[in-house]
Amino acid sequence: MMAHVDPTTLKITREISREDILLSVAHSGDASRVFVGSSDARIYELDTTAEKPEPQVMEGHQSYVSGLVQTGTQLISGSFDGTLIWWDLETREQIRVVDAHQKWIRQIAISPDGSLVASVADDMVCRVWKTGRGKLVHELRGHAEKTPHHFPSMLYACGFSADGQFLATADRTGKAIIWDVRKGRQLASVEAPVMYTWDPKQRIHSIGGARSVAFSPDNSLLAIGGTGSINNIDHLEALSRVEIFDWEKGERTHEFAGDTYKGLVEQLVFHPENQWLLAAGGDHNGFIKFYDLNEKKIIKQDKAPMHVHDLAMNEAHDTIYAAGHGRLVIWQMESDAPATEGDQESEEETPENNA
Amino acid sequence: MARHPRKLFCGSPEHNFSRRGFLGGATALVGIGAGLETLRRPAMAEELKKKQKHVILLWLAGGASQLETWDPKPGRPTGGPFRSIQTSSPGIQISELMPKMASRMQETAIIRSLNTKIGDHGGGSILMHLGRRDEPNLSYPDMGSVLARELGQADSAVPDYVTFYTATEGRGNAVGRPGFLGARYAPMFLTTSNKPEDIERIEGLSEIDHKERADLRKLFSDRFTRGRESAPVLDSHNVAYRRVHGLMASDKLFDVTEEPEKMQASYGPTLFGQQCLIARRLAEAGTPFVKVSRAWWDSHGQNFETHLELVTELDHVMSTLLEDLKQRGLLESTLVITLAEFGRTPTINGSLGRDHFANAWSASLSGCGIKGGSVFGKTDEDGQTVADGEIGAAEMFATIYKALGIDPHKDYYVGARPIPLTDPGTKAVDEVLS
Repeated sequence: MMAHVDPTTLKITREISREDILLSVAHSGDASRVFVGSSDARIYELDTTAEKPEPQVMEGHQSYVSGLVQTGTQLISGSFDGTLIWWDLETREQIRVVDAHQKWIRQIAISPDGSLVASVADDMVCRVWKTGRGKLVHELRGHAEKTPHHFPSMLYACGFSADGQFLATADRTGKAIIWDVRKGRQLASVEAPVMYTWDPKQRIHSIGGARSVAFSPDNSLLAIGGTGSINNIDHLEALSRVEIFDWEKGERTHEFAGDTYKGLVEQLVFHPENQWLLAAGGDHNGFIKFYDLNEKKIIKQDKAPMHVHDLAMNEAHDTIYAAGHGRLVIWQMESDAPATEGDQESEEETPENNA
Repeated sequence: MARHPRKLFCGSPEHNFSRRGFLGGATALVGIGAGLETLRRPAMAEELKKKQKHVILLWLAGGASQLETWDPKPGRPTGGPFRSIQTSSPGIQISELMPKMASRMQETAIIRSLNTKIGDHGGGSILMHLGRRDEPNLSYPDMGSVLARELGQADSAVPDYVTFYTATEGRGNAVGRPGFLGARYAPMFLTTSNKPEDIERIEGLSEIDHKERADLRKLFSDRFTRGRESAPVLDSHNVAYRRVHGLMASDKLFDVTEEPEKMQASYGPTLFGQQCLIARRLAEAGTPFVKVSRAWWDSHGQNFETHLELVTELDHVMSTLLEDLKQRGLLESTLVITLAEFGRTPTINGSLGRDHFANAWSASLSGCGIKGGSVFGKTDEDGQTVADGEIGAAEMFATIYKALGIDPHKDYYVGARPIPLTDPGTKAVDEVLS
């Protein structure tokens, strides 16, 4: 059993300002080694414990670095240049470069056991790769290349279930597909069409999309993040939005339409024991929110110092590393000490607890 | 017999087009013309008309990003995620969002050094429609009205100036005004439909009846005119009737289904594609000026997503239009322009958007009178300022006029006051002219 992490105690403990836009972040478990993917096509390793971090540079991509995951002693990056690059974390040298997609890679995700990495791109294909040798395992096709209004669609998000059985992908029109990872076969699909705004009258183009996905720890629920229907699509002016689906039944079980912060939900993370669901993103500004899915309410929400594009958490899930527009931010939350079975019994017997 | 209801196109009186309104304007032209004596040289005008030149203006309303179209800055902090690609003209690169235009760069010149200074939609739009700042005491005509006058024919059976603006955002900024040239050069302004809504024969009047009415009117008119041949009012009246009959017959020009299915498909399924196909049909039939407004590019948030949609469409439709004009032998006599009220900021904001920016932006000119495969002007490495060849709206307009063989320095007269086509001292960008 994990410690209880209390989102109401959320506070920023570190901000590192940058000139660039940080689109992705990976965390090794060691605060001295945080990796960020940049709009300048580089990856930077930052020692966030240092007073003035001196970034270590890793060069190889040709465009925005939109995805970073870590597996063992390797880092895998994905970029708008369509390539995946494997890096040796000790030497910071490239191990392997794979021409993975014809168009922008929007996100990459690693399976819980670290054996697979999935990449999604605007070629509307999700590809699943062996992390060990970079071998292609599956090409998952099911998202339409064009929107219903004849414009290029975009495949924004992917995420594995906690047991690695399932993979979800989500696109511009708000469609999410759930895949059987072993068989590489589509199992179900759900739709969150409110997240895609097509303006047929005022501006004649679209905005929005399903930008993030996450499975609940028991696999039964799929959370999809995006934004609400937008009136003036010059801006991300609608309230952020999260929809929860019982994906096997194809039913939407709840929707969090937002009440304060505007913009896109760029990232969703379930606490491993379903204590909360974390959402982060933004418009010109940023936000971070915690939902209680049992009570169907917001536990905590706060303004972020920037639009959050990506985040990573430590194993205890009490520290958040958020990458965004012009900065890296570290949040921390207070947590109870990890409890064992014996500890629980002894705690229950103390007079203080009884009182 | 039910009278066909009179419909307005956009609710704005100056944008309404109707037979009655048209007749009023055309008849009034005689009076306006007396006070508007121009220095038009008849020989030059005739020459122009013989060549039947046309302009199709692709108005990128809201402000398209120069960095995602004609002036990419890959690898710079301001450059955004799109790469640049080599075009068919050595040394010229444009955004990777425009591969089809890149393959036919030899027909297009890029101007990368517009500094028009006005960064609000309304002011920028007026400037880039008039080619000069507006003046409270004088209503200047916009580019379309000037070109309708310069390139149109008095007895033309087709409209001289047609403008499409279907999106509602920014429509009020889409200047379409004849100013001191008078109502004769006002645009046919199409908003809710791709077809003019009140030029069809009224219900219940057969084609034969319609023709017989016209013949009868002509008979009376000719009889009345006999012995009064020099009466300008009567001439104008007849011209006006001929034009109305021509316009009524031209409704098929606005119907894309008159085109083979393959041609319709080549322009793509979008409204912008359909309107550009109609623009080609109009140009082919003799309409000198068509503006197709593609709104709305004002990407304060999610600039790259917006441009992924809109530039992809622009690239396809514009390249198809150029090819279509070329195949019909019309490209040499048709100038295709991309222009907007301004460009977009090199700085990328927190919402991955770009904001209004008039200090260093781009336009393109293709076809008639243009030295294809040329680039004029240069911005700095981040696109923040014009580094070389700065021009404003007046120079842009002078270049357009000169490409069409029109003297940018010619004068119109309002009473005794000479009004030059472009402000005194303005120079055309000869480097992009053939």
